[in-house]
Amino acid sequence: MSAPRPTVLKYSGHEHLRTRLAMSLLSGKPLRVDNIRPDDKNPGLRDYEASLLRLLEKLSNGTVIEISYTGTAFLLKPGVLNGGRVEHDCATSRAVGYYLEPILMLAPFCKKPLELTLRGVTSDALDLSVDTIRTVSLPHLQLFGVSDGLEFKIKKRGAPPLGGGEVQLFCPVVKQVTSLNFVDPGRIKRIRGIAHAVRVSPQFSSRMIDAARGLLNRYVPDLYLYSDVYKGDESGKSPGYGLTLLAESTTGALYGAEALSEPGLPPEDVAQNAARALLSDVRAGGCIDRAHQSMVLVLMVLGSEDIARARMGPLSPRAIQTLRDIRDFWGTSFKVVPVDGDDGDGQLLLSCFGVGFLNSNRTLA
Amino acid sequence: ASEAFERQHKRRKRDWMKLIYRSTLTPEQIVRGETEQEARIEDDDEDELFKFKSKDQMGTDEVLDQTKEPLSKEALAEWDDEEMLDSIRHLFITGGDTAQGDE
Repeated sequence: MSAPRPTVLKYSGHEHLRTRLAMSLLSGKPLRVDNIRPDDKNPGLRDYEASLLRLLEKLSNGTVIEISYTGTAFLLKPGVLNGGRVEHDCATSRAVGYYLEPILMLAPFCKKPLELTLRGVTSDALDLSVDTIRTVSLPHLQLFGVSDGLEFKIKKRGAPPLGGGEVQLFCPVVKQVTSLNFVDPGRIKRIRGIAHAVRVSPQFSSRMIDAARGLLNRYVPDLYLYSDVYKGDESGKSPGYGLTLLAESTTGALYGAEALSEPGLPPEDVAQNAARALLSDVRAGGCIDRAHQSMVLVLMVLGSEDIARARMGPLSPRAIQTLRDIRDFWGTSFKVVPVDGDDGDGQLLLSCFGVGFLNSNRTLA
Repeated sequence: ASEAFERQHKRRKRDWMKLIYRSTLTPEQIVRGETEQEARIEDDDEDELFKFKSKDQMGTDEVLDQTKEPLSKEALAEWDDEEMLDSIRHLFITGGDTAQGDE
C-alpha cells in the first residue's frame, strides 16, 4: 500500500482489446475499458473476450479483473506474469489464434517458462490459423532472441463451429529481448505451404496444393507444399480445410498468407485466394509480416536501451493504433519515415528507442 | 496512369509521424489516405442534445478485434493478369535485375 497508485489507462470500445491487455500486463499499468458495445442488441463482453480474460488470469498471479454489472466495462489490475503449466478451454466462437496473439507478447516475460495447452478451434476465417502461428509468428518472436525451447505443437485440429482441436505452446523466458535491426527485406528464396483437410476427403489437400503450385511455380523453384494429415480423433469435430503459405526471403523476412474453406468454395479457389494473398504481401514488401506488425512494434519498444529499427510494408490500421497505444503505456514515440529509393514504394522505416524492459518476474536459476 | 502516379506521390509525401501522433483520424482513415480536412467535412453533426443512434450502428456487423484481414475477392482479382504476375518477379531471387527498370 506504500507504492503510489499507478494511473489507470482508460480506453473506450472493444477494438484493439488484446494488445492493450498485453501492454497492461507488461507495463504493470491498470487498464480500464468502457463502452464495450453499449448500443449492441447484446451488449458487453463477448464469450471469447471473457474467456481471454480468464486465460490471462490463469497466466498471471494477482491479476484482478472487475467486470461491471452490464459487462460493458472492466478494470484490469495487472499482477505478476507467472507462466508455467496452463491449460485453457477456449470459447469456440474464435480460433485459438485469437488467444495466442497477446500470449506471444507476454510469454517471454513470465516467471517460469510457459507450457500452454489450448483447446478449441484451430483455424477459422477470423483469426490467424495455428499453422501461421507456428510458421510465421514464432519466427517473428525469434527475431527478438526468444528461441531456445520455443515450440508449438498442433496435437489435434479443430475446424469451426465445434472445434475440438488442441495446441501446445512452449515458450522460454528471457531477461530482456534484443533490439531489432531489420531493414533489408532481401528477395524471396523459397515458398512453403501447409494444406490441411479434416473430416473431408484427403484429396482436398492435394487439390489445393496443385492449384497453388500452378500459380506460384513461376517464381521460385524452391517451392514445397505439403499436406498435413490428421485422422480420427485428431481431426476435431467439424469438417474444414485450408491452405497456409509462407514466403521466406534471403535475409529471413517472412510473409504469410492463408485461406480457409467456405461453404460452396472449391479447394482450388481456396488455394488461389491464399496464393494471391501471398503475392499481395510479397509486393507490399518490408521485413515484417503484415499481421505481425503490432507484435513486433511492442517487442521493439521493450528492447534494450538502444535504437531498434524495422522496415515494414504499408502499416495496417491495427499497427497504427498500436503505435498510439504504445505511447500511452510507455511514452515512447516511433520515428516513422518513408523508405528512400525506387524499390521502397509505400514502405516505411520505423525506429524507436527501447525502454530497456527487464523481466523482473524471471526466477533466477 | 498519371493520376495513379499523382496519388502515389501524394502518399509518399505524407507525414506519418504527424498522422499517427498528432491527428484525430482513426487508423482506418489514415490507411485509406484521408487527410484531416476531408474527415472534418464528414462529421458536421447537428448540435442537438439527444441523438438517435442510426439503425446500421445497432446492426450485427460489428468491427471485430482481429489481426487477420479478410481477403477481398476484388483486390485479389488483380492477380488474374499475367503482367501483374510478372511485375513482382524482381522480388524473387530468380527474377534478375532487369525487371526493376521497367516502370
